[in-house]
Amino acid sequence: MMLDNEDPKFDQWLRHAAQAYNAPRPTPRDEMWARIQAGRVRRAAPWLRWGLAAAALLVLGIGIGRWTAHQGTSVAGGTPVAIADTTGNGLVYQVAATQYFSRTETFLTGFRADLRAGRVDTRFTGQARDLLTTTRLLLDSPAADDPRMRALLEDLELVLVQISQLEAGRDNRNADLITQDMDQRSVLPKLRSAIPAGPVPVRTQGAI
Amino acid sequence: MDERDLINRVRAGDSIAERALYDAHVDRVYRLAYRLAGDEALAQDFTQETFIRAFEKLDTFRGDSALSTWLHAITTSVVLNGLRKVKRFHRREADLDTADGVGVGRREAEPDLKVRLRQAIDALPQGYRTVFVMHDIEGFTHEEIGVALGVETGTSKAQLSRARAKLRESLADFAGEWIA
Repeated sequence: MMLDNEDPKFDQWLRHAAQAYNAPRPTPRDEMWARIQAGRVRRAAPWLRWGLAAAALLVLGIGIGRWTAHQGTSVAGGTPVAIADTTGNGLVYQVAATQYFSRTETFLTGFRADLRAGRVDTRFTGQARDLLTTTRLLLDSPAADDPRMRALLEDLELVLVQISQLEAGRDNRNADLITQDMDQRSVLPKLRSAIPAGPVPVRTQGAI
Repeated sequence: MDERDLINRVRAGDSIAERALYDAHVDRVYRLAYRLAGDEALAQDFTQETFIRAFEKLDTFRGDSALSTWLHAITTSVVLNGLRKVKRFHRREADLDTADGVGVGRREAEPDLKVRLRQAIDALPQGYRTVFVMHDIEGFTHEEIGVALGVETGTSKAQLSRARAKLRESLADFAGEWIA
């Protein structure tokens, strides 16, 4: 039975014409899969993340303490205003983020250079995993409250997840895709602009 | 590999099976998310959230329906909730614009049929639009839509009929297109 408000000709035309409505682009399978994996890890073990965060901050605090103490002795007679500020959480996270960005920049630059030379070894996957842990700690810290910082950390998380999943010597195509992805997102330029000029504090402490 | 085996392997923590499950369903989930969201970044976010939840909750999947139906129920829930949040955010932004006196006037409707059709579908009430997109554009059956949205099959049919009626009314100026 046909209802009053039915019009088969219109319905047929509509079904055809509406195919253009929000027509999807090809599915970015690998990119989404990497993010799904990262998201699952982040949600799966919050206790682990907080434990690591606490440990990392403790070590970082010791590092900052040593660094500021060293600064204090090297500028004898100077006003210790900066030292007083170091007790603020903001500075702690800022220092942690700066140190992390510096390490990540060094790592990604090395990764690209080795890839160009045709080398991808397990050293990179291990380092990527280490940096990934720090990335996730920072994503869950107040350092990620700034939207630009969060966006950069998320880009880095994606790149590092992909590198950590590479199989040494057998994954050159995927490695190429990672560097293409890095270029498209301008990861390295953004990363470099996030690192302030001058020496990176507590760089050698390996605190985080 | 049969679907039940695949699910059991995923439940046992087999990462290859996880990827196989994802590969088997991601296209349809992403298409649906994209059709409903109309934005690539949102569609990706919704798809990711769908699979994260699906892997988290796979133990609760009892197999009463197909896995795809269960996944599409998660997808629609994630997308519709997400779109509500986005809408609230845009409304707040629009309110701020109006308060600042910097809001732009409403754009005149384009005479182009494609644009008018898009506007008419966007203007449908959320429930009508969802059923219309799922049935007429993505080819879901009323039974699948009923399970995904948690409504009776009859409700899905009624909403589709009302959606089409509203669209026919909105596009009355173009009646020649389908009569021809």
